[in-house]
Amino acid sequence: MLTISGLSKTYANDVRALDDVSLTVPRGMFGLLGPNGAGKSSLMRTVATLQTPDTGRIELDGLDVLAEPDRLRRRLGYLPQEFGAYPRTSPQVMLEHIAALKGIGSRSERREVVEQLLVQTNLWDVRGKSIDTFSGGMKQRFGIAQALIGDPSLIIVDEPTAGLDPAERRRFHNLLARIGEDVVVILSTHIVEDVADLCPRMAIMGRGRILVEGAPEDLTARLDGRLWRQIVSREAAMARRAELPVVSSRLVAGRVELRVVADSAPAPDLEPATPTLEDVYFATLLEHGLSVDL
Amino acid sequence: MGSIFAFECRYQLRSPLFAIVAAVFFLLGFLVMASESVQVGGVGDNLNLNAAFAIIQIQYTLSILGMFAAVAFVAGSMTRDFEVRTAEIFFATGIGERAFLAGRFLGSTLAATLAVGAGIVGTLAGSLMPWLDAERVGAFSMAPYLFSVWAVLVPNSLVVCALFFSVAALTRSMMAAYVAALGFMITFVVLSAVTDPERVQWLVLADPFGVTAFGEITRYWTVFDRNERVPAFAGTLLYNRVIWLAVALAALAATLALFRFSPGRRQGRRRLARLVGRWRRRERPAPVRADDLPVVKPRQGRRIDVGRLASQIRMDVRGVLRSIPFYVLLAFGMFNVIGAFLGALSQLYGTPVLPVTPVMIRVIDGAFLFVVLIVIVYYAGELVHRERQHRVAGILDATPYPSWIMVLSKVGALWFVIAALLLVVMVTSIVVQALNGYYRFELGLYLTGLFGVMGFYFFLWCVPAVLVQVLSPSKFLGMLAFLLVFIGVQTLPSLGFEHNLYLLSAPNAPYSAMNGWGHFTTPLLAFGSYWLVFTLLLVIAAHLLFPRGELSGWGERLAVARRRFAPGVRLAAAVSALAFAALGGWIFYNTNVLNEYLTRDDRETAQADYEKRFKTFADLPRPQVTDIDLHVELYPERRRLESRGTATLLNDTAAPLEQLHLSVAPALTVEQLDFPGAELEASDERLGYYQYRLAEPLAPGGTAPLTWSLVWANPGFENGGSTTRVVGNGTFVDNTEFMPLPGYDTSRELEDNNVRREHGLPPVQRLPALGDPDWLGASQFQVSRRSAFRATIGTAPDQIAVAPGYLQREWRDGGRRYFEYAMDAPIWPFVSIVSARYEVARDDWNGVALEVFHHPTHDANVAAMLEATKQSLEYFTRAFSPYQYRQFRILEFPGYERFAQSFPNTIPYSEDIGFIADLREDDRIDYVFYVTAHELAHQWWGHQVVGASMQGMTVIVETLAQYSALMVQEQAYGVHQMRRFLNYELDNYLRSRGGELIEELPLMYVENQGYIHYRKGSLVMYALRDYIGEEAINRALRGFIDRHAFQGPPFPTARDLVEAFRAEAGPEHQQLITDLFEKIVLFDLEVADAQAVPAPGGGYDVTLTVQARKLEADGSGRETEVPLDYRLDVGVFPPAGADSDGVDLPPPLVLERHRIVTGTNELTFHVEDMPERVGIDPYNKMIDRNPEDNLRRL
Repeated sequence: MLTISGLSKTYANDVRALDDVSLTVPRGMFGLLGPNGAGKSSLMRTVATLQTPDTGRIELDGLDVLAEPDRLRRRLGYLPQEFGAYPRTSPQVMLEHIAALKGIGSRSERREVVEQLLVQTNLWDVRGKSIDTFSGGMKQRFGIAQALIGDPSLIIVDEPTAGLDPAERRRFHNLLARIGEDVVVILSTHIVEDVADLCPRMAIMGRGRILVEGAPEDLTARLDGRLWRQIVSREAAMARRAELPVVSSRLVAGRVELRVVADSAPAPDLEPATPTLEDVYFATLLEHGLSVDL
Repeated sequence: MGSIFAFECRYQLRSPLFAIVAAVFFLLGFLVMASESVQVGGVGDNLNLNAAFAIIQIQYTLSILGMFAAVAFVAGSMTRDFEVRTAEIFFATGIGERAFLAGRFLGSTLAATLAVGAGIVGTLAGSLMPWLDAERVGAFSMAPYLFSVWAVLVPNSLVVCALFFSVAALTRSMMAAYVAALGFMITFVVLSAVTDPERVQWLVLADPFGVTAFGEITRYWTVFDRNERVPAFAGTLLYNRVIWLAVALAALAATLALFRFSPGRRQGRRRLARLVGRWRRRERPAPVRADDLPVVKPRQGRRIDVGRLASQIRMDVRGVLRSIPFYVLLAFGMFNVIGAFLGALSQLYGTPVLPVTPVMIRVIDGAFLFVVLIVIVYYAGELVHRERQHRVAGILDATPYPSWIMVLSKVGALWFVIAALLLVVMVTSIVVQALNGYYRFELGLYLTGLFGVMGFYFFLWCVPAVLVQVLSPSKFLGMLAFLLVFIGVQTLPSLGFEHNLYLLSAPNAPYSAMNGWGHFTTPLLAFGSYWLVFTLLLVIAAHLLFPRGELSGWGERLAVARRRFAPGVRLAAAVSALAFAALGGWIFYNTNVLNEYLTRDDRETAQADYEKRFKTFADLPRPQVTDIDLHVELYPERRRLESRGTATLLNDTAAPLEQLHLSVAPALTVEQLDFPGAELEASDERLGYYQYRLAEPLAPGGTAPLTWSLVWANPGFENGGSTTRVVGNGTFVDNTEFMPLPGYDTSRELEDNNVRREHGLPPVQRLPALGDPDWLGASQFQVSRRSAFRATIGTAPDQIAVAPGYLQREWRDGGRRYFEYAMDAPIWPFVSIVSARYEVARDDWNGVALEVFHHPTHDANVAAMLEATKQSLEYFTRAFSPYQYRQFRILEFPGYERFAQSFPNTIPYSEDIGFIADLREDDRIDYVFYVTAHELAHQWWGHQVVGASMQGMTVIVETLAQYSALMVQEQAYGVHQMRRFLNYELDNYLRSRGGELIEELPLMYVENQGYIHYRKGSLVMYALRDYIGEEAINRALRGFIDRHAFQGPPFPTARDLVEAFRAEAGPEHQQLITDLFEKIVLFDLEVADAQAVPAPGGGYDVTLTVQARKLEADGSGRETEVPLDYRLDVGVFPPAGADSDGVDLPPPLVLERHRIVTGTNELTFHVEDMPERVGIDPYNKMIDRNPEDNLRRL
């Protein structure tokens, strides 16, 4: 179990990236959802020991992470939001090197682990090609492969699906799903489906704070009976938006679907809707005054 | 096309690149002209600052440098569309390929030319600056600048731009263009290493920049020419430009034909990759896919950390080895070093030295190690910033590697790469040795020399380079910062900060095969350890500050550093710091307490002080040494010399001697100096000058003994300037180093006029005028009497010590070995002592014992030396006079200096000249023979006869030794080799005239100017012999010896010698002798036209037209034409035979002497065989600045 308490960080340019973040992450997949700039990556990097907070504590199963970063690193698998590889280097060479750094001393063991991972991430056929030439999906699969080396008990994946096409994302989800359940996995993303598909627990971040935390179904349940929808023409949508507490709008076959949160039907022409995690996400942001451009 | 050209011009001229390059070149041109500390090319310091030659030379250098700027312009103009991926858009607009290419080429070439041309403007501006030394600025002339524009800048720019534009257009790769530029540069460097006159002719056309042609045209220009003249744009210069412009046009035409917009270049590459891939990877079946993720528990511990480090180093080394610049640098270095090998191996008169390992290492030091420096600067940046640049840091930094691994890996990878480079160059060197048939490789010496001494500090410099990069936010900033640090440290010595304790260096340690690293070993080890622990401290600092993860700001970095400063690290730092301080203290004790720490300026100041304080006593009457009894104890292993002895001093002046002044070499400690009745009035121990007043003056003709005890201690080790005279094996000292000398010692004065000016001294005093009666009493050795000589020398038990004289006794005592020598007739008190572990080769010539004392492995040319000695003795005794000794000895001494010197019956001979010459091929000029004969001849010219100390004195000693050696050598090797030898002498003389610092003098008035008394001396004596005959010259010399040998004052002068020649020459040769000895005369002879027609009765009638002029030059080289009326050789030659090497002429069909006068001369010959060439003075016996037009093909 990973426990984060009172974590704050202000960068040199006065940007307050983390603002008193406290969070408890149990074993299993944990989704961290938030818009760009919410502080997700800062939080991930801090937990991954790549930067130090101004205040706060991080504990993993009783280990004081900030005091002993090396002991955390021994148990960590980390896929950064942005990463590359040494030029003209194949995944096989790169993975074996990372395995060595993680502490797999024997050459044959390294080889075995790397080959197994190459097969599981469907990179076997391109294992000798340069990573520079990889597509986005291949590169993310390489990224997860390196994170999995060394039997980590904490895995952090930061925005792994950004920019992937649907098929690639599906494949990536399948890969993540195979990670054992007794491992803490934090999946940071701004894509709601990632969390909805994979995570039994989640939190939403905004402006460096944790806005809400819980199981997706509990969070969705809170909107039960409070969510309404209406499909109007584009001209009408503008007027409606000014009148109603609209949380989201999207185009459906050229008309606009507006979704509104209210304890009772705010207007007679709205019909009840089934809440989704996306509604939770937008509603939460709106609730905390984080404007969402519609 | 017009619009593309206009666009390209606008784009290029507005780009920052243009502004920067133009500014840099303007500044370069300006500073070279206007600042004393910036120098380009070898502009002698007696030329005007704005000499036409200097201006043009600067522009050549700038235009060669400009090549790299040109690549940026033209290659950039070709590749930028591909790099910013607008190529498809551009090509879709329907512009024709040719218009596109032409527009781009012209626009970018114009920009490159203008930017580099800013250098010419800079030079022009610099030459007008008011602070320039007005005495050295000549009248302003536009001509050299115009020449620079249309003969240097524009053609060079067109050539390089066309070539690199073509490469860039066809490959669409900036890197390829740079590789081509480097290749071009390498070719040029290799070519320009060739200066051998026998091979330079074809290079003049091959040099892409035309600078070789310029160099050839101006090769024999005098100071006057260099100041005033601009070469005509004709002849080889023009041909060279035409050839290269044609090459450039051809390249452009090929590009126009081959270039296509369609971006299809990847296809070829892919096909290649597929082929390579198939060959490299046999397909392996995928392992069975397990559903569970692999579970291998990582471990921790020391052993694992070593594995981590190894893996990281492997990745870092791989990164370097897979980058193109590495191979470019390696190739550049290799070509440079191979070129330098070839240059270094062809030494004197075109005869190579054996490729012995010390020579090879010296070459590598000079020609390759700068590549290592570039590798350090560039790859320290690449490696340290590699993880962040390629965004691997995020992944790696979250793995549990201990933080010290990254720093150690970066340093380790650099070391690995440097070691690999050194290994490659070492193997190359061994291959060069083997190809030259030399198989004594001395791997141990390669290891100590390359890795231990020369390369060692490059290994150490890696660490500061890494530290600077660790501190720097960007690699370019880091490279710049490190270069500033490195250059800053390198310039400290020129500011007077010379202590190796802060220069990250060790004292210079020359290697000698005889003495190995000798006494330099201790300081090398001491400074090596000192700097090694220092770099350990830097490694620790780099470890503490290494930016792992994403640290924002210095506060966070310092906090992290504090955490990394764990007890173990603290201990390592403390131990290193202690060791650093302890070693530093011990070094300081050696360099500054046991020895005196002196900078170059300190040493010069001491020399200047000696002159300033004591020069006033130079004319003080001084006694002559008439008897020397010497006892010298050498302790080679401690570099200690103890000298005790007595010299009898004679007052040979007409007045009583009231004062006695003694000079003692400053390095010596005086334990005792005694002269009867002498009272010390003043003394300066630092400068070694002692002034005594004699209580009872020494009467004219009176004698008294001077006794001394002197010690040369050399304790510990020095920071620099450590003596190479008293050493472990191969001590070579002369009388100035173990005896007090009566009076002021002129030879200690500073010789460089610039240095003298800095120390407030007037220019070097020139020699007394020829015939000055005040100086007829002093010989060239500064004394007027010969002296008896006896010496006992003690040395190490395994060494042989030798002094002039005959061995009287040899014995051992107290574990030491003693030798006693005595001379049975008086000699000049000019003696040497050598001691080394020798092998001795012995021979005999008519009762004269011949001995060569040599280093055991240096036996290759000993037989040749003995043979030269025998033939020389044979000739000299027959032609001049009997040899005055019963013994002749050659003694090898370490190659710390390169000369041979003739002492009575004893010739110390440097290991670096004769002993390692490669004489295995017969056609080579045997300079071992020449040097040996020359030095032996000094037993006559110097030891039998010596001139008065004034102008022309070296004609008697050196020119006659040259003549003597030439005669023996011609006898042994024939007239052909002699002609080749003289061609080198002619070339050397004509070239050296341009570097004359003061004034060129006629031979008879020469003031110790080597190029005149050796080089011109050879030519003059050979020509004289040709006209008056060898027997007449030798008769004159015999008479000269009869009159002057072994005589006291007055001493003969060069005029006496010339008169002796005149007396033998007959009236028809008097003008010749005047021209040869008393004037600087140059001939301008040319076969202007030649015809051969078959004669009616068989054979051929040959008619030739000779154009002839005779010129007289003044001391600065300004020439005036004078009437010519000479009998000169005219020859007709058949086609060269199959066995000809193309250098020597075949035996002539006709060779006659004919009267030649100023202007046009018509001559007719009849020959039976087919003629091919005709020549006026075909063997270049007369000094002619265009010797090649003396011959003409029919």
